[in-house]
Amino acid sequence: MNQRVRVTSPQTRLALRRRSDATRRLSRLAGRPPVGRSAIDLDDAERALRRQRRLAARTATLLLLALAALLTAAAITPGRLGWAVLFFAPYPVLLLLAAVHVRRAEAIEADYREGS
Amino acid sequence: MLGLAAISLVLASSVVIGVWGVRAARSTPDFLVASRSIVPGWNALAIAGEYVSAASVLGLAGLIVKNGVGAMWYAVGFTAGYVLVAALAAGPMRRSGAYTVPDFAEYRLGSPRIRRMCGLVVLVIMLLYLLPQFKAAGVVLELVSGIPYWVGVVGAGLVVSSTIAVGGMRSATYVQAFHYLVKLVFIAGPAVFLIALAGPERREAALDPSADADWSRPLLDLDGSGHPLLATISVLVATTLGAMGLPHVVMRFHTVAGARAARRVAVSVIVLLSLFYLWPVVYGLLGRVTTPEPEETDVVPLLVPGAIVPGTAGAVLTALVAAGAFAAFLSTSSGLLLALAGGLSHDLFGGSLSRLRLGVVVGTALAVALSLPAADVDINVLVGWAFAVAASTFCPLLTLGIWWRGLTATGATAGLLVGAATSTGAALASVVLDLEPGIVSVLLAQPALWTVPLAFAVMIAASRPGSVPDWASEAVLRLHVPGRYSSGGGAHNDTGAIPRARRENRVDAPGETG
Repeated sequence: MNQRVRVTSPQTRLALRRRSDATRRLSRLAGRPPVGRSAIDLDDAERALRRQRRLAARTATLLLLALAALLTAAAITPGRLGWAVLFFAPYPVLLLLAAVHVRRAEAIEADYREGS
Repeated sequence: MLGLAAISLVLASSVVIGVWGVRAARSTPDFLVASRSIVPGWNALAIAGEYVSAASVLGLAGLIVKNGVGAMWYAVGFTAGYVLVAALAAGPMRRSGAYTVPDFAEYRLGSPRIRRMCGLVVLVIMLLYLLPQFKAAGVVLELVSGIPYWVGVVGAGLVVSSTIAVGGMRSATYVQAFHYLVKLVFIAGPAVFLIALAGPERREAALDPSADADWSRPLLDLDGSGHPLLATISVLVATTLGAMGLPHVVMRFHTVAGARAARRVAVSVIVLLSLFYLWPVVYGLLGRVTTPEPEETDVVPLLVPGAIVPGTAGAVLTALVAAGAFAAFLSTSSGLLLALAGGLSHDLFGGSLSRLRLGVVVGTALAVALSLPAADVDINVLVGWAFAVAASTFCPLLTLGIWWRGLTATGATAGLLVGAATSTGAALASVVLDLEPGIVSVLLAQPALWTVPLAFAVMIAASRPGSVPDWASEAVLRLHVPGRYSSGGGAHNDTGAIPRARRENRVDAPGETG
């Protein structure tokens, strides 16, 4: 019974298992529908995807507009005010965009949970 | 010498925290219980700690002195990237259960070949990002202790790779959270003193926008190309979209409890970055007044204290800033090296532990060797290229992979090839060709403006959407459905706890054998 066992930390075991994990997930998905607990209602999921995608596109567009507006504002505002726009204005705007997105994304997820 | 002492102190405390963090993780009998004790706040601190690199701590201020206040657009882009991370990537990526971008590509596209391709791209991005970190270490050590640049770079390489080997980085969350605080305190603290001590005249001069019209225009002009708006937009595209595709950032979101938490962490990161990015401006504006033409732009934050406060007080402030800069180097380069080593060992040559260690050594050696000739390139230019490559490769891959079912392995491969080739090719060309400043030189030095749309277009066109196979469609749908999806090893759901080992330190740190 003097078998040698390689002792590794949990992190290492997980790291080494990564490959097989990915392959297994894939083979589970490929071809046949998953069973039991992990089955999803495709129609509900479809709706969730569409709503999340609309929201994501909206946030990305708003980000584009916000950056364009900041760029214009900084470029045309003379002197110290222009600097202030560049140094301070972007961050609250970015934070607001991200926070609003997260709230809405979570609302969509809550709807999905209730609906399914 | 004071500077060296401060740097050693940061280094020693990092190792201590790292070892303590690992112990804390081990001594807890129940990993599940322990895992709940890591609040998302720690994760956000860690992400910010890894993300605020030498480019932000040193490069930004230097670039402000050299190119004008428009350099702040880099900081805006670095932060704006997290809006996209929160909106497009964090939640779904967390749900995919994939640990890295190559993992995700294999999950989503069902092709092991694309994993290897992504592994190669990871390598390119990580190396481009590592170079300036080592350059920063070299110039900082040269300034505070007088040792030659190359000795500093090689020494920094030895320090980082041995820290990883000792295991100080295994408890990456705590160490990197600590580094964020070190950076913030050691950059903001001296800045407050410097503002107070600079005196009314210098303060007035620093805030005078009428001094030099080109310099004070809040747009980023690259070496007087004459197209500041174009250059600014291209830098913004690269930094904003690139942040989303940075492999080591994507990796970090797997240490979070679930998709919800992943998105929220991205929002917290925006707060932490905003807090930090106020301070490089102080060094930049004061630097223009006190050290208008520095020999080496990337050390401006280290020169300003001495110029304003002579004597011991100035030396102490310089030492603090040096320690903050070194913390930036340490946290970013460790994170990058682990991502690079993970890419080398897992995605390119089937994973084994000795290969992982070898990967760290090889990665360090490559980065050190490449950063020796890169001594004259600005930190932010190099980091900008890393972002441009990430924006032209992984950003389209993740965006389309997450939101569009039609993406196929063929399309992704073609897009990755074109994106990587054009963005790296343009950056190389801008170095080699030495073009006249103008539109072409801007578009080569900051290629993201055209390479990103190109990569998107190629991915879409080459995917030739027809009938999407059921498994691919479901793979996408599952990314957007909360709960219930158990991935890989453990049975965990979207909101519940996962064993700490999975959340903590998802950076494939070298563990122990025998």
